[in-house]
Amino acid sequence: MSRPCSEVTALTLFDLVLRSMRKNLKLYYLYFFALISSVVMYFVFATLQHTPVIVEQGGNSMTTSFQIAGVLVLLIAGIFVVYANAIFLTRRSQEIGLFQLIGLQKNTVAKILAAENLLLGAGALVIGIAVGLLVSRVFLLLLLKLIGLETIIELTFSATAIIQTIALFFVIFLLTTIQMVFTVYRSSLLALFSSQKKGEHPKQPSTAKSAVLALLGAGLIGFSYWLSTQMLNEQLFLNMFLVLAAIIPGTYLIFRVTISWVLYKIRKRHDGHLGLVNSLSLAPLMHRMKGNANSLTAITILSAMTLTMIAVSYSYYYATEKETGAMMPFDFMFEDDAAGADEISRELEESGIAYERGIMETVVAVGGFENGALPVSSSPYDMRLSVVSDEALRQAGIDIDAPASGTASFHTTSSASLFIDAVSLPVNIHFNDDNETAVSVTEVGDGNVINWSSFTSQLVVDEATYSQLKASLAGEDVALQRIDGFHITDEEQVAAASAIYQQGKYTSRGPHVDYYSSYQEALQANGMLIFIAGFLGLVFLISTGSILYFKQMTEAEQEKKSYETLRQLGFSVGEIMRGIIRKQLFVFGLPLIVGLVHSLFAINVASYFFQTDIAVPTIIALAAYTLIYLMFAFLTVGYYRKVVKAAL
Amino acid sequence: MMRKMKAQETTALHAQNVRKSFGTRSNVQQVLKGIDLRVEEGEFIGIMGPSGSGKTTLLNVLATIDRATEGTILIGGSDISKMRDAKMAAFRRSQLGFIFQDYNLLDTLTVKENILLPVTLGKRGNKKAEDEFQTIADSLGITELADKYPHEISGGQKQRTAAARALINQPSMVFADEPTGALDSKSASSLLGNLADVNEQRSVTIMMVTHDPLASSYCSRVAFLKDGQIYSELYKGAKTRQAFFQEILNVQAVLGGDSVDAL
Repeated sequence: MSRPCSEVTALTLFDLVLRSMRKNLKLYYLYFFALISSVVMYFVFATLQHTPVIVEQGGNSMTTSFQIAGVLVLLIAGIFVVYANAIFLTRRSQEIGLFQLIGLQKNTVAKILAAENLLLGAGALVIGIAVGLLVSRVFLLLLLKLIGLETIIELTFSATAIIQTIALFFVIFLLTTIQMVFTVYRSSLLALFSSQKKGEHPKQPSTAKSAVLALLGAGLIGFSYWLSTQMLNEQLFLNMFLVLAAIIPGTYLIFRVTISWVLYKIRKRHDGHLGLVNSLSLAPLMHRMKGNANSLTAITILSAMTLTMIAVSYSYYYATEKETGAMMPFDFMFEDDAAGADEISRELEESGIAYERGIMETVVAVGGFENGALPVSSSPYDMRLSVVSDEALRQAGIDIDAPASGTASFHTTSSASLFIDAVSLPVNIHFNDDNETAVSVTEVGDGNVINWSSFTSQLVVDEATYSQLKASLAGEDVALQRIDGFHITDEEQVAAASAIYQQGKYTSRGPHVDYYSSYQEALQANGMLIFIAGFLGLVFLISTGSILYFKQMTEAEQEKKSYETLRQLGFSVGEIMRGIIRKQLFVFGLPLIVGLVHSLFAINVASYFFQTDIAVPTIIALAAYTLIYLMFAFLTVGYYRKVVKAAL
Repeated sequence: MMRKMKAQETTALHAQNVRKSFGTRSNVQQVLKGIDLRVEEGEFIGIMGPSGSGKTTLLNVLATIDRATEGTILIGGSDISKMRDAKMAAFRRSQLGFIFQDYNLLDTLTVKENILLPVTLGKRGNKKAEDEFQTIADSLGITELADKYPHEISGGQKQRTAAARALINQPSMVFADEPTGALDSKSASSLLGNLADVNEQRSVTIMMVTHDPLASSYCSRVAFLKDGQIYSELYKGAKTRQAFFQEILNVQAVLGGDSVDAL
């Protein structure tokens, strides 16, 4: 080829790239948006990881958390980009085929696609980092607010974060470019032209086989739900593994077989009189059930994981105050240390801090539940127990109901609390003492009545029973303990009191945790957790929502001809949309509902780790997720409406 | 049925001075330049003409799929040119039937589901629709195919399915746009025979656009279109189909255009 000719080709090639990009912009904009948001999220995490405030205040654990979150964002972004790219490649196969048909060589076509992809990627990187720079301050403020830190912040411009983001996303884009080139080189022209038309034609399912598989799917899901309610025992990890191992194939079978089978039965009953709404929902769904089963399963499992993650982390954050309160009914306390208690009392008075000091006596002994009461086999005498009378607690300012004479109410935040719901009451607790004393537990209370710093579970009994137990308990493991519990009356002064308590002269002489500093610590950890979980959840959500949207977009294009026919036959846009909306309810609703139910069972397991009820934060988190998710369904319906309107 | 009782002379469709232009204000292209056409009930009229003469545009305008720029169109006494879109769509579904060149069947539906699709609105009960389906499917010889999907049947069978779908609502008029365009000659003849039978037995008015003289020889009348105007008309009358075919060929030779790809 002579030189001028090749120049012409080069120009045309670049021209082609721009043209095809412009034409595909409509197709790309949500993909582009999802790319940008992945870049923004990763960049924010990378920036925070290098922010001095975080490094100083949060220490290693925080930077590590951001690092892990960043890796997860990258992972999700990578999977999403590759998946979306595969969808687009299928959609554009005809265009790719056409390029080859008019005589462009495969490597030229590959160059066009690669150039396009890299331009798109570079655009997303530039915009993503620019937006990231703008918003990372907002994110930092949000994080500091969540973890309850009020410092003046300085966000430094982190070159490391920028380089890190560019390098890692470049790898992802390179991956998709390879994927594109591979597609061009590997597929034949014929395959390229017919790949959009691929679809399946629902056959009558072989009754016996699909009935078995359908039942198996439902059975696996039922089994994992059941197991999830029984899993808190010694085989906890095995159980978790079993639940996952059952729920994933179960979900797949539900989508692949059970639902197809039900749809087939419904269709069969109509005997040809399908009606427009069914023709636009039932029929195309059955048509693509095989292909959709994979993605619906993936989206369901991913949604369930995301929902569980955000619900649990939000519950932790939401319940921080109550949870800490449940563990520490006193702001702080002294054990067998009247001198320390006297000293801090003086110091508090000097500082003008109003307080209440409760002094009580407890019997500390070792004991355990009667054999077989707990779902875990444990040696019978492995709990440190504080026996205390309700009267003494009331005098110390802990409000508590009197248990019936001769019985006890059990209070704990130790690991025993995980299993306590599984214990059927009343249950006997045996002490490991010389007289083999035992007491019957008739109720289980919420949280501790003595700060967890004493490392005991507590048995609250009435005055008479207390005297009896005190008299009966004897042996080397039994001791009397004096507790000086402090309540700061004015909430405004709790922080000041905490600062006094945290002085070395007090903390060195015994339990050195107080309510306020524990609360601050928990708030920081949980704020961090909800921050990361929230944004990871958002990235997950945008990815899954976009993938459903892309898939539906492709389906809408494929069914354009059907809509044209229906319009020609005299069906109005509204009538056609009714069928399409029904289909979207199914496509978006089914993974959401199954995912929600899955996650409810998972959250139920997680709720055992809470002392408080987490229904409210769970509902808030699930509702927020559902709302954002449904926005993608609305976008999809909007896209369909455009296609149907333009069809005639 | 009212229209069966009426005299042969009742008008099924009456178009007066129908014009249709495309394009922007600066670049207007007039495709239909004042068409006057009267179709009697029970007629099987063919529209012929070279490529670009406006055949399909005329069909779309008359069939309410597209709107005329000017002129009035009466179908069964209703003035469709003044109808609003929604009403026009409803009219189309209840009163008209369509057969297209590329069948336009829904891939995801079986033959029977495709045929029963227009019945959706359910003015009639399932039982009645079922009877109607059986009658039509029998007469078109596709009863056996009821549970097959479009990709499992031949082009001729697809087009007969489309014809059955066009007839299921007992329309007052059926519009066919090159129905034999994608069929081999044997399937084409068989389909045209079916249409002629339907036209005679069910006295359905049919308007068919085609460029195939053989196809139009099945009609009772053929109107020739040239440059957006009706150039001439031929009536079959008592002639044999062969003689009518010859006449059509003669007119087409005069008209020029796509006589070459006619045979």
